[in-house]
Amino acid sequence: MARSDKLYSVAAIFDKPDGIIHAAEKVKDAGYKQFDVNTSYPIHGMDNAMGLSSSKVGYVTLAAGLFGGTFILLFMWWTLAESYPLFIGGKPFFSLPAFFPITFETSILFGAVATFIALITVFFKLPYNNHPLHDTNYMKRVSVDKYGIYILAEDEKFDKDEIIELFKSLGASSIELIYLPKEEKYGMLQPKFMLFLLVVIVGISGATYFTLNKLMYMTPFNWMEYQDKSNPQESSLFFADKRSMRTPVEGTVARGFIPYPYKGIAYPKEVLSNPTLPSKEILKLGKEKYLTFCSPCHGDYGEGTSRLNGQFPTGPTQHSDKVRNYKDGMLYHIITNGQNSMPAYDKQISRKERWAIVDYIRVLQRAKNAKKSDLVEIKKESSTNGQ
Amino acid sequence: MANNDSGYIKKELPKSVGKLGAILFLIGAVTGLIGFFIDPGRAAYSYLTSFLFLISISVGSLLLVAIEYAANAVWSTPFRRISEFLAASLPLLLILIIPLLLSVQSLFSWSHSAEVAKDPMLQAKSVYLNTPFFSVRVYVILILWGLFYYLIIKYSRKQDETGDQLLTKKNVKLSVIFIPIFAITVTLLSIDWIMSLETRWFSTMFGVYLFAGITCSALAALTYIAVKLKEKGYLHPKITKDHFYSLGTLMFVFISFWGYIAFSQYMLIWYGNLPEETFWFMQRWAGGWKIVSIFIIFGHFIVPFAVLLSHESKTSFKKLKFISIWILAMHFIDLYWLVMPGMNANGLEYSFSWMDISFLVATIGLIIYMFNRMFEKHNLLPVKDPKLQRGLDFHL
Amino acid sequence: MSVDYSKDMVLFDRNPELVELEELISKPIDTRPSKKYFIALAITSTMLLIGVIAAGITFYYGIGTWGNNQTIAWGFGITNFVFWVGIAHAGTLISAILFLLRQRWRNAIARFAEAMTIFAVMCAGIFPIIHLGRPWLAGYLFPYPNSMNIWPNFFSPLDWDVFAVSTYMTVSILFWYLGLIPDFATLRDKTTSKIKKIVYSFFSLGWRHSNRHWRDYEKAYMIFAGLATPLVLSVHTVVSFDFAAAIVPGWHSTIFPPYFVAGAIFSGFAMVVTVLIVVRKIFDMENIITVNHLDKMNKIILLTGSMVGYAYLMEVFISWYSGVPTEQYVAINRAFGDYAWAYWIMVSCNTLFPQFFWSRKIRRSIPAMFVIVILVNVGMWFERYVIIVSSLQRDFLPSSWTYFTPSIIDLGILLGSFGLFFTMILMFTRTLPVVSMSEIKAVVEGAQPSHHGGAN
Repeated sequence: MARSDKLYSVAAIFDKPDGIIHAAEKVKDAGYKQFDVNTSYPIHGMDNAMGLSSSKVGYVTLAAGLFGGTFILLFMWWTLAESYPLFIGGKPFFSLPAFFPITFETSILFGAVATFIALITVFFKLPYNNHPLHDTNYMKRVSVDKYGIYILAEDEKFDKDEIIELFKSLGASSIELIYLPKEEKYGMLQPKFMLFLLVVIVGISGATYFTLNKLMYMTPFNWMEYQDKSNPQESSLFFADKRSMRTPVEGTVARGFIPYPYKGIAYPKEVLSNPTLPSKEILKLGKEKYLTFCSPCHGDYGEGTSRLNGQFPTGPTQHSDKVRNYKDGMLYHIITNGQNSMPAYDKQISRKERWAIVDYIRVLQRAKNAKKSDLVEIKKESSTNGQ
Repeated sequence: MANNDSGYIKKELPKSVGKLGAILFLIGAVTGLIGFFIDPGRAAYSYLTSFLFLISISVGSLLLVAIEYAANAVWSTPFRRISEFLAASLPLLLILIIPLLLSVQSLFSWSHSAEVAKDPMLQAKSVYLNTPFFSVRVYVILILWGLFYYLIIKYSRKQDETGDQLLTKKNVKLSVIFIPIFAITVTLLSIDWIMSLETRWFSTMFGVYLFAGITCSALAALTYIAVKLKEKGYLHPKITKDHFYSLGTLMFVFISFWGYIAFSQYMLIWYGNLPEETFWFMQRWAGGWKIVSIFIIFGHFIVPFAVLLSHESKTSFKKLKFISIWILAMHFIDLYWLVMPGMNANGLEYSFSWMDISFLVATIGLIIYMFNRMFEKHNLLPVKDPKLQRGLDFHL
Repeated sequence: MSVDYSKDMVLFDRNPELVELEELISKPIDTRPSKKYFIALAITSTMLLIGVIAAGITFYYGIGTWGNNQTIAWGFGITNFVFWVGIAHAGTLISAILFLLRQRWRNAIARFAEAMTIFAVMCAGIFPIIHLGRPWLAGYLFPYPNSMNIWPNFFSPLDWDVFAVSTYMTVSILFWYLGLIPDFATLRDKTTSKIKKIVYSFFSLGWRHSNRHWRDYEKAYMIFAGLATPLVLSVHTVVSFDFAAAIVPGWHSTIFPPYFVAGAIFSGFAMVVTVLIVVRKIFDMENIITVNHLDKMNKIILLTGSMVGYAYLMEVFISWYSGVPTEQYVAINRAFGDYAWAYWIMVSCNTLFPQFFWSRKIRRSIPAMFVIVILVNVGMWFERYVIIVSSLQRDFLPSSWTYFTPSIIDLGILLGSFGLFFTMILMFTRTLPVVSMSEIKAVVEGAQPSHHGGAN
């Protein structure tokens, strides 16, 4: 660094730690404020000798630590008990014992990081690489094994000769005058700087583009996602019929599943008996399925009023005597097997659902032909329900 | 090599201290004895709690002495005698245990042969949990402690006259042997006298938990007495705030350690949620015990932790005195909380009894009395200890 | 030779001049390394390469290449993770806990131990990530909702691990760098090379050894030590929760937290001693890192080894005392079952061999301690292996009982982690001062003023 002729400070070097402590005390007692001691390691008792108060770093740590802990605790409460409550291991949504470890770790993390940042930037005011002390002979010596003290020219009491005398009387081994570095001016529009800026801009935007548009879509390997197998409904060149899905061998029966015995017979001699009881759930299911599959042709109440405006043949009414006299099993058979132009529904509707539909049809029939006693019952029920 | 101009002058404690100890002890002992006549079952539980409290302070103090030797610590050397004096009740434990051994039947359900015959779990444990083996165990433990106390203290006192470094060396050796023995004996003690009150419960951490509590209480007793003596001018003038700061820090460390152990033990059992473990905590979460449990969390950890956190409070005599008494009280409550719910497991109904107080009073009286006796006979400062000078010169 | 109790521990065999210390410490940085160094580097980087290849194969073909199976889902991966995290803890113990206990001898080894901490945490951090199978999805470990808007499970000890280990890594690096700043400044003022000067200036941030800075620096260092101490305990505690919070017999044991912490310090110290024995020899630092230092560390190894032994005893005893059949079975199965060999390696290496350190002679004999600390390293690796594998191999479902056999890939990754660790250490010894200059200078005799204790 080139130096100007403006004085920055007067510095003295001492050889022994006792000397520097003594010097610091005397300088303080002489009333100087703007002075500092440089030693390559902390010297015990120097803070007292220089008259420094104790450090305030601890408050930063405490505040940041408390903030971090509170923050993460609230965060965990919000995520697991509020935003998306998850029931885990029979524990309450908000469980302090389980949240304690993370709270603790985060307090430490916040405390440590905040302390570090505050220490460097606020307390040390670093980085400061162009400080006048750098690159001086003084600095090179205190950095190794000497003990240095300097008084700034800014000090109110500053008097060069007086200070040199003071240092000499204290037994300094050498005294050095440190001058401020020459002010160097850097214009913003220097070609080198502009080039640097350009490189930075291109580099950052290129990297961003690459990351967001290319890197994020790269799969390290894709054979887990795309495996050598056929998915349902896919065509396959392997088989002559070009279908990847194979029909099971003739006569295959699924486990625990007895095939319907009257399949394909239009008017079976005997039919199955109804295995369900018309409970509330069954009727609810039956209603749902009836409205989905049956009502388009047979009408919402089974009256044979198609909702399809004649596009399809209208289904017969469910309230004819013929139908009302059918056994449950016969209705089931018709749904399963189809009748006339009605297709078989055994592929779409499960067994239980078919029986549920039968039960529901019975309800519709009963509603259409209600007796007096039914009304009494209904009235009774609705009056008790209304309470 | 040893230095002897430590500038120590022996002073007497006021007569009232010894008297106070004796009176407290007598009041407590007499009322306690009455208690044994009125309700021997209830008295046994009260006695056990106070007995464990006495053990904590006495053997804990011996442990502190041993740690000082083993770790070659210097700052605590000027305080060592206080711990030695506090450990003085150790030989008495051999006698004081007798009432407990006589009331094994009223304390432990595993000692009833009828219960054992009913319960296969007790039968499986009866190899270990049976009255003869149990009594032998506790005597072996107490004799071992007494022996180490006798030897360590003997060498320590002998050094006051000779100043021989070899004595320190001997004590270092004794201490490093004592520490592992202490670890094992305290664990056995915790299993035998606390864990087996509720026979089905088990926790591998339990010995460590008791150890943490014991160390806290011994340190608190040491700190309280040290501060008190310092205030009244009995301690060496070179014992500065830095020494007390170290004591405060050590207390802070062990309080944190206790919190850590207590939390870990609770958390793991809570998390695992196995019925064979959780019932122990459920018992301590039922009824009024819930308040005690919550109070212990705050009183035994959060309050002392917060108080001792700052540098200022670790050097303030007032705060140190307050917190050390607080910790001692909390340790007693902790022991109470460990022992008393065990009554339910033994088919008894817990209710607070005046006997709890009377035995505690007797224990405190005994500790004061023994301390005073030792104080009269021996130096408060290990005057010719080779580490003493460094200890007095100690600075942060 | 007997100890003089009225004197403090001798830190240097011969009290050095400050300049001399500086020369000695910065020598490895300023001189060209010898042939031996490159041979060592070649060996360790070959190991590292093997590990990289093995990890690459794992990424490509998946975790199926490992020995893990349905029953023993945590094989080598988690064993190595716990092992390396454990190694890391010694560094923080030396730099933080011994600092708070004002053990001045730690100044000579603190820097090195901290570096080991960071490298070991790096080694450890790799394992959970490659154990994911698809490591590029590791980002979901951090609190960030997935596409279903579900947050990470903060109840899971595995998630606690993420917080604990990453906090530990961050704090260790900050702590380490804080200690390095004054040394960078010294190197900056010393060097004659222009490039080095720029590099050192950059990292020293323009540190001026100012006492107004030292005041805050010392306080902050104390705070960092105060934060790192509970942190280091919590990290291995959380690691132990990974096991103990489960209800697998052999894992669910309340003593796990302190037991794991003691074990971590134990293994970490063994590793520090192992490496220091070599380093002090190679870099002529026998005067700074003396036999006294090793003696102290061996004492700590003995202490923590005995604590681990206590935990073994407690586990066996309480498993019997509990009266719970599954607990009892696990204890028997460990000692006499399929993994008896591993169990007895663990017991003998961790609790028996360190007992030799009761003898002062063995504590101070370099070859003897070298053998013992190597055995401790082996034993502590097996401890984690036994805990993980032998507990899992007999789970609650007898039909899934099985045996774990590591694959060649498992071994390759383990070897690679050692390669990474030692490569980092070798590079570290040549780029940064292995002993903290500012700290070691402070404890040289005559480096502190004679009549200022501080209080008056």
